Amino acid sequence: MEKGFTENGFIIDLSNAKNTTQLVFELSSIMEHPDVKGKRICLKLGNLDLKQSQLLSIKALIESMDASIAFIDTKSEQTEASAVSLGIVLSEISNDAAPSFVATTPVEEIKEEAVVVKEEGKVVEIQPETTNVNNSIETTDGVEDIYDEQTTQELSEIIPAENFSADFEALAVNEGILKNEDASKYILLDTGDVLPQGVEENSVNTESLPTLYINQTLRSGQTVTYEGNILIIGDAHPGSEIVATGDITVWGILGGIAHAGSMGNITAKVRALKLNAIQLRIAGLYARRNDTLNVPYVQKTNEFTPEEAQIEDGKIVIYKKLRRD
Amino acid sequence: MTGRVIVITSGKGGVGKTTTSANIGTALAKDGYKVVLIDTDLGLRNLDLLLGLENRIVYTIVDVIEERCKLKQALVKDKKNPNLSLLAAAQTRDKTAVTAEQLKEICDTLKEENDFVLVDCPAGIEQGFQNAVAGASEAIVVTTPEMSAIRDADRIIGLLEAKEEITSYKLLLNRVRPSLIKSNDMMSVDDVVEILSCPLIGIIPEDTGIITSTNKGEPIVNDEDALAGKAYRNVALRILGEEVPFLDLDEPKGFMAKIKNAFSKLKAKV
Repeated sequence: MEKGFTENGFIIDLSNAKNTTQLVFELSSIMEHPDVKGKRICLKLGNLDLKQSQLLSIKALIESMDASIAFIDTKSEQTEASAVSLGIVLSEISNDAAPSFVATTPVEEIKEEAVVVKEEGKVVEIQPETTNVNNSIETTDGVEDIYDEQTTQELSEIIPAENFSADFEALAVNEGILKNEDASKYILLDTGDVLPQGVEENSVNTESLPTLYINQTLRSGQTVTYEGNILIIGDAHPGSEIVATGDITVWGILGGIAHAGSMGNITAKVRALKLNAIQLRIAGLYARRNDTLNVPYVQKTNEFTPEEAQIEDGKIVIYKKLRRD
Repeated sequence: MTGRVIVITSGKGGVGKTTTSANIGTALAKDGYKVVLIDTDLGLRNLDLLLGLENRIVYTIVDVIEERCKLKQALVKDKKNPNLSLLAAAQTRDKTAVTAEQLKEICDTLKEENDFVLVDCPAGIEQGFQNAVAGASEAIVVTTPEMSAIRDADRIIGLLEAKEEITSYKLLLNRVRPSLIKSNDMMSVDDVVEILSCPLIGIIPEDTGIITSTNKGEPIVNDEDALAGKAYRNVALRILGEEVPFLDLDEPKGFMAKIKNAFSKLKAKV
């Protein structure tokens, strides 16, 4: 068993398991440990093929111990497909250089060395409350330093670069807001000058504008227009239109057309729990959703990554708000 | 050049007007003709979805009429075929936003630069229908082999005959299921033609592929293998004046199919 830490959680390596029975046995013996409670677990499943039902029962097992799966790492295509259909995040754990605590099963090996939490743009290390095996903390300063170094190193090794290290950087820079690198989500339309005559680009602070609150679902064919900001508590279905001179915020799924800063305010923003607008318009810039993402209706889930669209360098750029569990 | 303005109508909803418009338009454009599709179903537009162009619409027909943009600006080019463009309906308005004269004017302008102007008519016989028909000189009446659809088609044909501008109208029989006709559970093509006494321009078989093509925003004529796609391509050819025999919609007639048929007949006898 190998373990390492991500934010408030750790990795359980089950790649040595030869069959499902062995895997479940090992996992359940690990899960019995009290330290596992409330943690986010990254499962390493190796080559084992898991059906959707099997993966579901593993997920249930983990959840029955008050823990949750953060992501899984697998080499099997079938397991990958099962995970995708269950909505479990897939990720790769690069552990070549990570200090590995390889042992067969001993439960005693589980220990909390340091929990690293992402918080407000910086990486904070929190010393653990429970350290039953590692005594280094109580030893000399020097040891402690080395130990700290090790954990940070371990972190960077274990957390897959493409998913997390970029996040950390962006987190630090943008105070929890991360730029969506997938620039192809919205494509600018070649509309020419669409601002009404006599209207010029401006950058009025939208915070100074009045806000219209709407507590209902906007349906196809419905339009909301307001001189100021609009806040919708509910979904905006495809075919609906929201036009505001200031910001537009949808506390739900935005599927229709949203036009923020309609009177030329280039600092206006569009934000939604799920940004799926068929067209995003900010001031005089119109962008259409990419055809490959042309799914008119989004599956409703409990998990949202709020997104925010704004103008940057003459383009509409989307920022993702990182989840903080 | 003066193009032909054809309205696609039915009276009853849900018989496939919009699907027919999208497919015939795409088929004609594929044959190299310049085609404009006009969606006149204000407030309940769908044609843009079927063509997968919803995300490209900036201006609609109402914007053109209320002079917020030029007609050219409101035409949305198809993703694949530059010969095909769409004049979308406004989703946030209703049928009273345009008048018959205004639509006629738009049709007249468009036919000067295009070979075909296809007008997708809304269901019903009220203002929306009157608007859609105003600019057209030809009509395609879509119906399905069901009593209610045929009754409505009959009503529509009566209204079209009363219009002087409409010089010709043809019937398109949609969602035909040969197996049901065989078992006498569905009216045959001949029955429908006899009831409506109207020349036929096409028979489209029921095809589950239509559902996926609608959801994907990709007209089924682009699918070379689909039977419904082939039937629509034939309709386009007939519009162009070619004589194309109607598709044989019967069950496949291979050797194995014959044996299977024989067996099923035997079974029926037993």
